[in-house]
Amino acid sequence: MNSSNEKLFQAILTGDKDQAVQETQVALENGVSADSILNESLIRGMEEVGQLYENGEYFVPEMLISARAMKAALDVLRPLLVESDVKPMGKVVVGTVKGDLHDIGKNLVAMMVEGAGFEIIDLGSDVSPEEFVEAIKESGADLVGLSALLTTTTPMMEKTIQAIQEAGLRDRVNIIIGGAPITPEFAEKIGADGYAPDASRAASLVKKMVSS
Amino acid sequence: MEQECWTLELEGMPHFDQAMERVYAWYENEIIDRPPIRFQAHNAILTQATEDISGLSPEKKKEWWFNVELQVDLFARYVEGRRFQGETFPVYSPNLGPDVYAAFYGTELEFGEITSWSKPLVKDWDDIEKIQFDRGNEYFRALEKLTELALERCKGKFMVGYTDLHPGLDCVAAWRGPEQMCIDMMDDPDKLMQLAELSVADFHMIFDHFDTMLKAENQLSVSWLGVPSFQKMHIPSEDVSTLISPEFYRKFGLPLLKEEVKNITHHVYHIDGKGVARHLDDILSVPEVNAVQWVQGMGDDYPIMQWVPFIKELQARETPVIVDLATEDLEAFTSVMDPKGLFLWTAPESEAEELEILKAISKWT
Repeated sequence: MNSSNEKLFQAILTGDKDQAVQETQVALENGVSADSILNESLIRGMEEVGQLYENGEYFVPEMLISARAMKAALDVLRPLLVESDVKPMGKVVVGTVKGDLHDIGKNLVAMMVEGAGFEIIDLGSDVSPEEFVEAIKESGADLVGLSALLTTTTPMMEKTIQAIQEAGLRDRVNIIIGGAPITPEFAEKIGADGYAPDASRAASLVKKMVSS
Repeated sequence: MEQECWTLELEGMPHFDQAMERVYAWYENEIIDRPPIRFQAHNAILTQATEDISGLSPEKKKEWWFNVELQVDLFARYVEGRRFQGETFPVYSPNLGPDVYAAFYGTELEFGEITSWSKPLVKDWDDIEKIQFDRGNEYFRALEKLTELALERCKGKFMVGYTDLHPGLDCVAAWRGPEQMCIDMMDDPDKLMQLAELSVADFHMIFDHFDTMLKAENQLSVSWLGVPSFQKMHIPSEDVSTLISPEFYRKFGLPLLKEEVKNITHHVYHIDGKGVARHLDDILSVPEVNAVQWVQGMGDDYPIMQWVPFIKELQARETPVIVDLATEDLEAFTSVMDPKGLFLWTAPESEAEELEILKAISKWT
């Protein structure tokens, strides 16, 4: 990794947004390609953040400011990525299911998955099955992430999967679920393709599923 | 019991006095004849004395939550003819959701079927000036009315408690939004502390207001946890601390907890899952925290047996602990645990099964 990319990588780790923007600009001025900056600094930086979170060295505040720095750097890169026809690794629709307004878990997943190089279509919270179906149709998503925090709203995950099935879209998308009451057994029972216990592992799962 | 105490005549709980003696022994980490046991799962009350409002519009849902007559009547109907075994106190605890304390200051609540959500009030730091406790606030008034009516209707039937009060970090998270609060910890810790201080500034005045209402009618100090005290009993909790490091907990959470526990006799700290448990050393460093409620969480954190070492650690620290477990795990759990300091919660399907369990745990030594 060249020194600009290394400094940007560090800025992502420390969550220094201004430094991240500055180092992105410096790297571009030094002739580093947008693609290389994205992969070597931003995606790698967020992977490291995820690892630190899994190891219990980072917590949500640290993860949030790293994601913010990543987004700020990505805003600088985005026009160049479009210009050079660099495609995201895939499109991911995320949302908290109908009846549930908790969104911090879903937001963390969205940030980490975006940090892994995916385009995120974030439907927010309290999202109906119909809205998920519509978003899949419109975006051509590769994967859908359903979130729920309440035991009372987990049945809505199954209803959403059924709606996707009935709309004839089930074969087109992978579906992963997550949230405090969720287990791998529950994911299997309701017909989801996978489950992740936290945002970092959700990003790893999305990468694995979309690339396979 | 040396302290002032009194009895309550409750149709469904003729053994109220003995049950209170077991609770007081538990507060002291002692056992009289058996550990106390409550035949109700964590949060079960939220889905018992209620009705299906899933089809209602958001406005109608709020009306339902604010319908004082209906809410008290639902609970009265729930207790009618029911017998409350063990230490299952029939407590009506007025409820408008966990963020109601933040709402006393102007935060708006949105109501669902079994809980409510808050909308952030402090969008930028100038909004701190909006943070004013308002005694005429609609949520505060609704809780007063629920309490007043319940006190009128409770005689001989049920106990009345106070609502779920979350000052401290949970209140700050409601005012600011949990994500923004986490970012503030990194970006603007001084401003966050300023807001945090407001989150506990009126707590004792608010607590005492409801405590006075209850005590004037011969009630005890009790809330949703259903563990009463003749003195004052509070359930400190900082659920949002699951998001932060021990370092940040010590910096932002612990000072608020120390303020919150002043002048109250009994505190049962609500440890909501392993994320909160990482702050256990700090929580138990506050001597006023007499006991904890362990909530192992759902999903992969369920069932209880994987937490036996953690519960044994609490026992080794002589910290009384409420343990919520599935009835089918009861035998396995009691076979590996010493009963000292434990308050069991379980939810068998019939009264006959409750009586069987009572018989079994009477022999548990």
